[in-house]
Amino acid sequence: MTMPPDWDSLIQKHLDGQTNEEEAAELSEQIVTNADIRSDYLRAAQLHSALNNELLAFEKEQGSTASSTPAHLEHTVPSTPTRKQVTPSLIAALLAGLLGAGMAWAISAPKAEVRALHVADGTFDTLPAGPIQRGFSSQFGIWSGDPLEIAEQTNGNRRLRFMETGNVKGDPNGGASACNAFQFIDLTSLRDQLQAGDANAQHILKLSVRFERTSAPIDEAFPKLRADCHIYLFDTEPSAIVDGWPDVLNDVVAVAKKRARLTSGQTSGRVRASCLLEPEATVALITLNVSVGMETTTPVKLGNFFADDVKLTLTSRPDLPVRVVKLNPGK
Amino acid sequence: MKTGTHNPVIDSDHKHERFTRLLLESEPVILRAILVIIPNRADAREIMQETAVALWRQFDSYNPDRPFLNWAMGFSRIETRRFIARQKRRAQLSEQAIEVLEQEMSGSPTFISGIEHHLACCLGKLSDNNRRLIKGYYHDNRNVEWLAEHHGRTIEAIYKAIQRIRRDLQTCIERQLKEEQA
Repeated sequence: MTMPPDWDSLIQKHLDGQTNEEEAAELSEQIVTNADIRSDYLRAAQLHSALNNELLAFEKEQGSTASSTPAHLEHTVPSTPTRKQVTPSLIAALLAGLLGAGMAWAISAPKAEVRALHVADGTFDTLPAGPIQRGFSSQFGIWSGDPLEIAEQTNGNRRLRFMETGNVKGDPNGGASACNAFQFIDLTSLRDQLQAGDANAQHILKLSVRFERTSAPIDEAFPKLRADCHIYLFDTEPSAIVDGWPDVLNDVVAVAKKRARLTSGQTSGRVRASCLLEPEATVALITLNVSVGMETTTPVKLGNFFADDVKLTLTSRPDLPVRVVKLNPGK
Repeated sequence: MKTGTHNPVIDSDHKHERFTRLLLESEPVILRAILVIIPNRADAREIMQETAVALWRQFDSYNPDRPFLNWAMGFSRIETRRFIARQKRRAQLSEQAIEVLEQEMSGSPTFISGIEHHLACCLGKLSDNNRRLIKGYYHDNRNVEWLAEHHGRTIEAIYKAIQRIRRDLQTCIERQLKEEQA
């Protein structure tokens, strides 16, 4: 009598490229017809695919935890050339092929580096439980904004709670459809360091955060709420940004935004927004906000909506060819 | 909208930059989805590159009012099928199996979300030896032959160890998810 295959082992073998044609066909058949095995395969394969990225993040987190220095650049992680160079080398190949430049870039694309930048109180654990500074502070490294508080969980973890929507400029007739948290980050020393390095390098800022929503009376009225994270880059002083808010957004050097929509009981995973770090940028304004998705001037209590674990990283990619290769206007 | 002062250099720069931004943002998600269907990392990267070439060629037809990721995923599915049709190095899943997996992937984000939340924590719970092994395999991109030699084990034992560690990580993530929901 033939023993039925051990599907779990076969799934694991397939992930490592060890299955033969017959085994892959058997597994395929099961994936199509058997919902349990399909689910088992998906979970195992999703973990396998995530391990490619997550190990890098894990290494970085371990490094950041060990470092207590408030230095602007906390940790540097050289990435593996094969995985991280997919995009730059690809774009090089694309543009080289399309625009007639050499193919050398695509073959010998340089290493990328990922660095963790300092966000003050990014985990919120070192802040005392209670309200966050109201209004829009122009100081670097301080969380401020609409009604927000630091809330402590039973396990001692602290996180940012969005209390209610408001108008950060205090305008009673102004819109109050969102609850914003702001922090300014000084980029001047970082810019000086980067300018002293490879002039052709491209730098990508990535802001990431986790959002969570738990049950509250607002859930019925607003079954879905939006949570956004933004990076705005400016080449002006924070005080000018605060004074000119929100019209000053017309003068932004670069912007990145990412949104998650959460119902009660949902967590967002890491929400990530990324943008190119333009050389003229001296200030980054990072914002986290929760909005009700409708125009209102009346503040809305947001119940239990939280943000935690805010991180900012810089990925430097020397010679990202999209910047270097240009069309010849004479042709 | 076209203007009277059309400058091909500036237009081209803007187009490249916009494409780069969108691609950089979407690349990890696309690559992860490809890896579910084509688990070999070198193959998945090859498909990712072909996808990006196709995206660049068709970028003029991209409607910026629609999510770039959704648009790009359509291209990656096509390139995945093209790859399977042309390469015979490894045994692959059938077309039908790929279709049902793609459908299911778009409908069940819970475990992916769990991975994002808990994988780092679960990796931290591995023994040093197991963490070195999994780091060597995934992060440092070592092949099993290299790992076998450096860990003083057989190739078969390395495969088994990697598979066992993945199972342990999966169990750990599922446990954390359950605790979260309790």
